[in-house]
Amino acid sequence: MSILFQLIFSGISVGMIYGVIAFGYQLTFATSKTLNFGQGEALALGALVGLTAINFIFGTIWGTYIGVGWSYLLMIPLVLVFGFLQGTVVERLGVRQAITIKSEAGWIMSTIALGIIFKNLAENIWGRDGLKFPSPLPEAAMTVNLGFAEFRVQPMELAIIFGALAIMLAVEFFNRKTVFGKAVIATANDREAAGLMGINTTRVISFSYALSSLTAAFAGVLVAPITLTGATMGVVLGLKAFAVAIIGGLSSGMGVVVGGLILGITETLTGYYISSGYRDVPGLILLLLVLAIKPSGLFGRATIKKL
Amino acid sequence: MLELDNISASYGKVAVLQGISLTVPEHQLVTLIGSNGAGKTTTLRAISGMLRPQSGQILLAGEDISTLPSHLIARRGLAHSPEGRRIFPNLSVKDNLIMGAFLRLTGKRSRGDVAGDIERVFTLFPRLKERHKQLAGTLSGGEQQMLAMGRALMLNPRVLLLDEPSMGLAPKLVEEVFATIHRLKAEKITMLLVEQFAAAALEVADYGYVLENGKIALSGTAAKLRKDSAVQAAYLGGGS
Repeated sequence: MSILFQLIFSGISVGMIYGVIAFGYQLTFATSKTLNFGQGEALALGALVGLTAINFIFGTIWGTYIGVGWSYLLMIPLVLVFGFLQGTVVERLGVRQAITIKSEAGWIMSTIALGIIFKNLAENIWGRDGLKFPSPLPEAAMTVNLGFAEFRVQPMELAIIFGALAIMLAVEFFNRKTVFGKAVIATANDREAAGLMGINTTRVISFSYALSSLTAAFAGVLVAPITLTGATMGVVLGLKAFAVAIIGGLSSGMGVVVGGLILGITETLTGYYISSGYRDVPGLILLLLVLAIKPSGLFGRATIKKL
Repeated sequence: MLELDNISASYGKVAVLQGISLTVPEHQLVTLIGSNGAGKTTTLRAISGMLRPQSGQILLAGEDISTLPSHLIARRGLAHSPEGRRIFPNLSVKDNLIMGAFLRLTGKRSRGDVAGDIERVFTLFPRLKERHKQLAGTLSGGEQQMLAMGRALMLNPRVLLLDEPSMGLAPKLVEEVFATIHRLKAEKITMLLVEQFAAAALEVADYGYVLENGKIALSGTAAKLRKDSAVQAAYLGGGS
């Protein structure tokens, strides 16, 4: 019983990371029907920039007073700004032209190409080895006792869950409550009509790419303390998050969270009960099933159109 | 206020507009009538920047807008209630109206009283008020049409383009839509109206243009066009 809870908890925390990255895919897909296939690299770059920033902040005279925890918190805004700018660059160089000429596939190749360039850049700056990211929270696992089951959690895993939820809620809140956020939804619904309202939809799409990379960079610094940080850390994560976006549906915010949790939990359970060699298989089978049975995703919906 | 000078436009290789010239004077209601495929919707799309004309000039208050993208044309005070309504299905009714006032809320046009103008739209269309929290995608076709008109009004436009506001509506709703157009005319809003119900359009308009195969075939005061035998035969179901 205890081990089951342990596995589910780890699955949730991994799943939330998938969910956040998939959420980023969704943001750009909504406004432009395109995705950044370099999302994994955006995550890795975010983590590496975060690593440099946290080491710098901690290395200053203040570091000894504020400790790693506060250094980590101070580093986050820098990483968010970096992610935002990086996403803008991807949109400007890789996507805008393809959208303007209504290219069906140009953006696929150009975002992959930019991803590879970013990865090479990162390898040359930070090297090819996995680096240790200082953990802002104690690394020793705490014991959680639910009465009927007892299991151990790493504080950082809890932080991942809350951090992931927080950033997704923040974006949702922005979209639903602010005029600019509503303009994003309007652009997603009908780009031409949004233009008639005076909304600069080119800028909205650029902004959605910026937000998408921002969430990926944030996911990077969330996951970095419990894994090794390096240029290639995002490759597998980005791919799995893409599976999550397909499973959950590219049009549903709730879908990516549930999709992420499903994939995360099946992975940890399979890894333990069957074989760690097969841990990726059930999720991918699920992906194939969803594509066969409900191609719009578990929570995806076809857009309502009334004539 | 709005002037088209020899506008030509095409979709791909198909020429749709072949040298359209027309004028919408301030405070007047001008209607554009013609059969399906004559180019009425295309004319409006060219004006609001949804389609870039190949040649010709479009002057809004004396300034050429023919090469501007839609959002910059809106910024100069042109609102367009497009064919097919094109409301935002995933936003509430009220948020659709707020999007109509986007430029006023973001400082690009003078703000005025946005909340008051939303109330004014609700007075014009009480049904929208009842449903203001509902997602616009759940509205009936008639309600969506009202929303599209209300949303365009929220810009406080200098010129309002209305594309087939009666399309697909039950007769009673068509009457309601025209009653609204009468009311907007009384408020001296400058309008260009495209309509399939030529009789009703000529009833409310000051001036009319008849479009045939991408060219202006005839124009004149609405009173004159109503009496024109060719117009009666072709568009007013007359001849008898």
